[in-house]
Amino acid sequence: MLRPPPPPATQLDAVFAALADPTRRAILARLVEGDASVGELAAPFAMSQPAVSKHLKVLERAGLVARGVDGARRPTRLRPEALAAATTWLDAYRALWDARFAQLDALLHDLAHEPGPETDDA
Amino acid sequence: MPDPNAQPAPFVLDRSFAAPPPLVWRTWTEPALLARWYRPNPMCQTTVLEHGLHTGGLMVVQMRFGEMPPSYERWLFQDIEAPRRLQWKQSMTDAAGNPVGNPRMPDWPRVMLTTIELQAQASGTLQRLTWQPHEATPAEIACFAGAAAHLDRGWVGGFDNLGALLGALVDG
Repeated sequence: MLRPPPPPATQLDAVFAALADPTRRAILARLVEGDASVGELAAPFAMSQPAVSKHLKVLERAGLVARGVDGARRPTRLRPEALAAATTWLDAYRALWDARFAQLDALLHDLAHEPGPETDDA
Repeated sequence: MPDPNAQPAPFVLDRSFAAPPPLVWRTWTEPALLARWYRPNPMCQTTVLEHGLHTGGLMVVQMRFGEMPPSYERWLFQDIEAPRRLQWKQSMTDAAGNPVGNPRMPDWPRVMLTTIELQAQASGTLQRLTWQPHEATPAEIACFAGAAAHLDRGWVGGFDNLGALLGALVDG
């Protein structure tokens, strides 16, 4: 299966900024269980609906949620593919370091067997 | 000195080597040895163009792969405690030293605050690499790096455990 292309740098920055807030992370956790209205999302935080709406705007700009246009309820839905894009970036970076360390491992083995001053582990 | 704005846990990668810490330290800090492993794969050729191993000192590394234009990295050393800890700010740059994006990883932050810590263990060395993006808003990105560490540890290559994953983010 083809992977989607990586998101543009600005979109990924928006994802990072969105996830930096613990309230927004909690909102995402609630949306894992299913779509929710603004009122349903506000209840656990004793937070006003306008305050929750501000957080939802940040999440929506980051592509992490999608909001319906169904009258006053405007149910919010999680978009897990946006989180997947962020972790793909992290995985690629870690894979780069893993590749370098595999070569470091090989070099250390070579140094243990090479003749001369480089093998001294002073 | 760590960036005072960067608080939460950065991304962490641990690896063990069957060699004592002073030898691992040398592979990070001696240009001739660094050039033999610091590259994405053995087909690339790495050359250390400049090397000043002191706080505020600069290392410039050139990497060549076949006929492609060379790429460059700059390390600005922040903290050097031989043979245990090395910290630097790292960027991909053009030949003139200006930070550039990595064409293979377009979302890669321009500057990374990177640290290695070496610890002796019975089988050799435990090496811990930590990094955090060092950008215009280091607090925001460092905060995400804490969440990202949970994301990475919890991710099992699919969406099956998304609920548990996000639960870990809430608790973390």
